[in-house]
Amino acid sequence: MRKLWLNLRLFLQGAILSYIALFRWLRPSAYLASKVFMPLNQILFFTFLGIYATGRDNASFYVIGNAVQMAAVSGIYGVTMSIGGDRWDGTLPYLFGTPANRMAMFLGRAFFHVLDGMLGVVLGLMWGVVLLGLDLSQTDPLALGLTVLLTTVSTSGLGLLMGCLSLITLNMMFVNNTVYFLLLVFCGANVPLAALPGWMRAVSRFLPLTRGIAAARQIIAGASLAEVAPLLAGELLIGLVYILLGYSLFRWFEFQAKRRGTLEAI
Amino acid sequence: MRSGELRKYGRVVAAAFEMSLRQMALDGFILFTVLVQPLIIALMALWMLRERGGDYAIFVVVGSGMTGLWSSLLFISGNSINWERWTGTLETLVGLPTPMPVIIFGKNLANVAQSLSSMMAGYFLAALLFGYPLRVEQPLLFLVSLAFTVVSFVSFGLIIAPVFVINPGVQGWQNAMEFPVYMLSGFLFPIALLPGWTTPLSYLLAPYWAARALHATSSGGATLAEVAFCWAMMLLFSLVYLFVSSRLFRLMIRKARADATLGMQ
Repeated sequence: MRKLWLNLRLFLQGAILSYIALFRWLRPSAYLASKVFMPLNQILFFTFLGIYATGRDNASFYVIGNAVQMAAVSGIYGVTMSIGGDRWDGTLPYLFGTPANRMAMFLGRAFFHVLDGMLGVVLGLMWGVVLLGLDLSQTDPLALGLTVLLTTVSTSGLGLLMGCLSLITLNMMFVNNTVYFLLLVFCGANVPLAALPGWMRAVSRFLPLTRGIAAARQIIAGASLAEVAPLLAGELLIGLVYILLGYSLFRWFEFQAKRRGTLEAI
Repeated sequence: MRSGELRKYGRVVAAAFEMSLRQMALDGFILFTVLVQPLIIALMALWMLRERGGDYAIFVVVGSGMTGLWSSLLFISGNSINWERWTGTLETLVGLPTPMPVIIFGKNLANVAQSLSSMMAGYFLAALLFGYPLRVEQPLLFLVSLAFTVVSFVSFGLIIAPVFVINPGVQGWQNAMEFPVYMLSGFLFPIALLPGWTTPLSYLLAPYWAARALHATSSGGATLAEVAFCWAMMLLFSLVYLFVSSRLFRLMIRKARADATLGMQ
């Protein structure tokens, strides 16, 4: 019981400190720019492009797709930078020197980004309602809330895996940016999956967001939680797979870094 | 300005141009901004606009290329002075007898020239992957429009760079400034889709006139008078930008010297 309590404390302290450390250099205006207005502009751009392509009747397709994709702003950039920050700020050797539970430490890096990411998606949907006429009257709020939570968790799972990559590569921002934009293509945020070539559809099945976006569209169109349950289960499963892959890589990196004496290597 | 002085400045611009190209060639962030992001946007736009038919391919190629131009202007040219600050060379550059804007002009020119590759990459993507028959309908007018575009973008960059140095708070909004200009300039859809109150804002942006000229000459159907009007607007805005930027550079250097903050990160 005491061990559980200690791990929980480690999880929460790590979560709070890594989040504060990441945003310590941000002023509220910079946070607003990156987490509120940048997403709004992205939603507007792709929605207007979609309206130009297929007409105003389809606006909600693009609004929902891009609003849910906002989970990736926190899930990919935030989580990756939280994990990678330990390398750049020189705290990684201290972390690996402690006997602390690695899983609690590892998952703690994503915790606040999941909450932040959920806020981002909700804000994105609100922008859609206020500015683009998104209709939520048929929506089951509980089902939508659960969809947002699971999608953010699964996207953060991918972020945890990529964060581990940031421990062994120098050009992580290039990888982050590329993955973020590729998710826009592969996950059906702007292009219906049916319109993609077969190999891209196959790839999309192994990515977070794909099922989350599909579920959110169905829920906003009036579907019940039971109807989208298979999609949500798939989204959660994908997230868990990425978390496990990330954790395995994290442990492997720790083992290799200690064995080779490269803990401080940047 | 005497011709000897002009020649001297030309040499500095050429040196800054070459140096910047070499520095940028393998930078991951720059490659993403100039090549990867415009290509992904082109890919999405080609799929999204597919139902509109092959005629739209050249529109997407030009429009997505322009997103690359603007993004690199915002993120790379915008940081061209800060870059010198980060690498510790700003004090040396300010101390040179060559005016600072001349050096930044050379750097921005290299950046804009490199960004044009995003249009070429989009062209190959649309032609090879999607098999669209791509043709620039008015090639001569297109090339002249491209030249005016380069001048107006470089001039615009000369405003952004000192503003980011004078007020770092504005730089914090860099991420939020990318998509609005895509929209207001009509890179990938007509500005008529936007609310009417945004139209005057579009008219104040040189990228809007650049997009209008490039789209019109690549898709065809534009009269010389229409295109010439866009060129005149780009020229006018370039002159305004150059005038404003000369004041901003003076203010920036005077402020940095007075506050002794030139080399401060």
